[in-house]
Amino acid sequence: MKKGLLAFAALLALAVPALSACGSDKPAASSDQQTGTAVKQVMTANLRGEPYTLDPAFASDTTSYWVIDHLYEGLYRYSQNGDISEGAAEKVEVSPDGKTYTFTLRPEMKWSNGDPLTAHDYEYSWKRVLNPQTAAYEPSALYYIQGAEAYNTGKGSVEDVQIKAKDDRTLIVGLKDPITYFPKIMMSRAYLPVNKKVVDADKNWAAEAKGIVTNGPYTVESWDHNSQLTIAKSQSYWEKEEVTMDTVHFKMVNEATTYYQMFKTGALDLIDSLPIDVIEQEKEKEEYKSFPDYSIYTYTFNVEEKPFTNAKIRQAFSYAIDRDILTNNVTKGGQLPAYGYTPFGVKTPSGKDFREEVAPYYQFDPNKAKQLLAEGLKEEGWTELPPITLKYSTAENHKKIAEALQEMFKQNLGVQVKLENQEWKTYIDTFKQKNFQIARMGWGGDYLDPLAMLELYTGKSSRNFTNWANPKFDELIEKAKVEQNEEAHMKLLHDAETILMQDMPVIPVYFNNENYLNSKKIDGIRFSVTGTPDLRWAKRVAE
Amino acid sequence: MKPGNLGLIDLTVLIPAELFCEMRRWELCNHPSSFRRGVFYIFNSLYSYVFTLYYEGGNNVLLYAVKRGFLMIVTLWIIVTVTFVTMHLIPGDPFASDAKMLPEEVVKNMRAEYNLDQPITVQYLLYLKGLLQFDLGPSIQSKTRDVNTLIAEGFPASAVLGLQSFIVALAGGITLGIVAALYHNRTLDFLSMFAAIIGISVPSFILAPLLIKYLAVKWELFPVAAWESWEHSILPTLALAIGPLAIIARFVRASMLEVWQQEYISTAQAKGLGTFSIVVRHGMRNAILPVLTFIGPLFANLMTGTFVVEKIFAIPGLGKYFVESIFNRDYPVILGTTVFYSFVLIFTLYMIDLLYRVIDPRIRLTSGGK
Repeated sequence: MKKGLLAFAALLALAVPALSACGSDKPAASSDQQTGTAVKQVMTANLRGEPYTLDPAFASDTTSYWVIDHLYEGLYRYSQNGDISEGAAEKVEVSPDGKTYTFTLRPEMKWSNGDPLTAHDYEYSWKRVLNPQTAAYEPSALYYIQGAEAYNTGKGSVEDVQIKAKDDRTLIVGLKDPITYFPKIMMSRAYLPVNKKVVDADKNWAAEAKGIVTNGPYTVESWDHNSQLTIAKSQSYWEKEEVTMDTVHFKMVNEATTYYQMFKTGALDLIDSLPIDVIEQEKEKEEYKSFPDYSIYTYTFNVEEKPFTNAKIRQAFSYAIDRDILTNNVTKGGQLPAYGYTPFGVKTPSGKDFREEVAPYYQFDPNKAKQLLAEGLKEEGWTELPPITLKYSTAENHKKIAEALQEMFKQNLGVQVKLENQEWKTYIDTFKQKNFQIARMGWGGDYLDPLAMLELYTGKSSRNFTNWANPKFDELIEKAKVEQNEEAHMKLLHDAETILMQDMPVIPVYFNNENYLNSKKIDGIRFSVTGTPDLRWAKRVAE
Repeated sequence: MKPGNLGLIDLTVLIPAELFCEMRRWELCNHPSSFRRGVFYIFNSLYSYVFTLYYEGGNNVLLYAVKRGFLMIVTLWIIVTVTFVTMHLIPGDPFASDAKMLPEEVVKNMRAEYNLDQPITVQYLLYLKGLLQFDLGPSIQSKTRDVNTLIAEGFPASAVLGLQSFIVALAGGITLGIVAALYHNRTLDFLSMFAAIIGISVPSFILAPLLIKYLAVKWELFPVAAWESWEHSILPTLALAIGPLAIIARFVRASMLEVWQQEYISTAQAKGLGTFSIVVRHGMRNAILPVLTFIGPLFANLMTGTFVVEKIFAIPGLGKYFVESIFNRDYPVILGTTVFYSFVLIFTLYMIDLLYRVIDPRIRLTSGGK
């Protein structure tokens, strides 16, 4: 038996290094609260997973965005009331033709490692994103700059890119077209700066806490991969006096039920994406916050696949959907029924929301649906519809919605559609090859302007998979792009949306939203339509 | 028995079977019917093959080790090859994460960075070359960290949790099984087997939320989740251990009942030995053998992390990479986790072989040992 024990001990030895490696696990960082009169400004929020990267050039998911938004600051930033205002730039001058932006940076700005932060850093960072060798995630956000697209696609040289640091505090940017909404576009993470010295020294500089150098309100204090990331107020940030929250612990809990329970036991102060089944009971509570998201859930037609070659038939399918039932009884997360393509969230010069400036483009109307279907069939000279397959990507929520739509098409239109689902990566392939009649897709605006939503459907857009193109629509979009008057800009976009909704290459289903539970002990979190919750002005009011 | 290709084939069947178990469908893997019987059949063939190898070398342990080592490498190579091929057969692309279209130039650069622009055979050879240098390649999804780092970071948490639950399952299972056998057909037997049936039938993804709901939220005995202190590891350990514990208990009970009928037990009883020493010195030794075949793969499974339990308790382990890498088409991570898991499994089987030899006196006798 002794030998048996020895062998067993050998088996255990396999795991000993592992045991000792974990022995150094830090205790919960929040346990070292000191007794004092002032409330310590520390909070714990749930980041649902490990951020894939904290290098803004490569970030592609909201998890990474949330942390990155607290670490780096662009020339513009969101201010406390949600408006876009000057960030690292102190002054911005636009040339009379609207094509040249001259940014003057605030004086004496520093990176978190003490290096001076200059206009050269911005020039370097933007050109780094555009360099095809970098393979950054969203170089297209910079295509508005003269020479940028050519350089990024290998057709031009870096010298022709109109981003020039005149001196340490002056950055001159030449645009392709005079666009008034350039500040909105500059809110993309592709415009955030990185420290040249740091990046050049180590390609993987953003992989660990100690390598990350920031210019924004926070620095990374520690990063326990897949477990916890802690950011602390940066001492070199130009506006550090305004930052009220000193330390934020981001926990990485992916399972909805788990982080909900952790919130309930006080282990988390802020969670998002609540489990669907608890929304009903949390809805009325003070902690519950729900905000619209600038994104939409759609079903997209391939207008070259019968029967959706006919606009009336496409319209008929849209009229047959009861979006209120869908959002109230199927999705149940507080989503808003979509009666137009552009989501809520853009304020126009009239003071109203862009969405509310016009009446709904359609409503739920089974009779009209049937009538449109009959007219469509007549126009095409068909006696009946060819078989229709509705495609969606495999997931519980998409399945529920697809089944609800199937039922609605059957009841309200008398049409039997077949459902087909594919796992996400396969589905994306299918979708991009336009291998569908009608298929689920979602879209979020890259910036907060209706243009970001509508431009997708121009004939030359690489993201338009509908096969639909309308020269009139394209013309309106082109005009809206360069329109200097904000009111006229919105008017052109309304006209474009009207065409899109008449031709209906895509069915808007609902507008997404985000649900949060925000502890009563934390005030001042700024929630917004496009951005992630901004924690810099958050304040803990009770231990 | 001549060592033919049988053992090798068995191994290649065994690994996918175990990878299937990796999906953590405990209820399926441990269904008392065909599936388990199939696995046992494979195990038996494997062992007879290995023992044949062993006998051929007589007492030459070195020869045995070399042969066995060679077998391990061949098996790993087959696994890598099969995974590599099947992985590239799935449609989809690691760079297509949403409906955005990246410029051709950018996609070309990205593909080049991960050698995906090379012909598939070159990619395969490059991977094997990296593997020989213990380099599992970069992670496409993580961008800044490579597969070696991901495993080095994830393995400790998974291993600690795995080891804890392994010990709990083994100790608990054996105790429960022996108690049930000793009190055969009496209340304690029924109670333990009732508990075992529940343990087998309730999958971990049901058990874990129940543990959280009662032990953490309602009675506030333990933290809900996260990986911070020893207390944090108790609930996930329980969630992981109870299933296998129940299975081990049933194994031990069955074989203990059989052993208890043997004449040498009656002899020991006649000699007036106490029940405890009979159980430990005479009974256990034989009763534990069927359990050994089960705990090999169990150990490998638990040590390399579990998807469901790690997700529910927010444990920074390896489990999620097994599943997410496939969703993301993160080729190097798919291969890396498979290689790592296979290595742990094969290595554990090797250790079990040794254990077998040590524990079963019959094997020692026939092999000319003491």
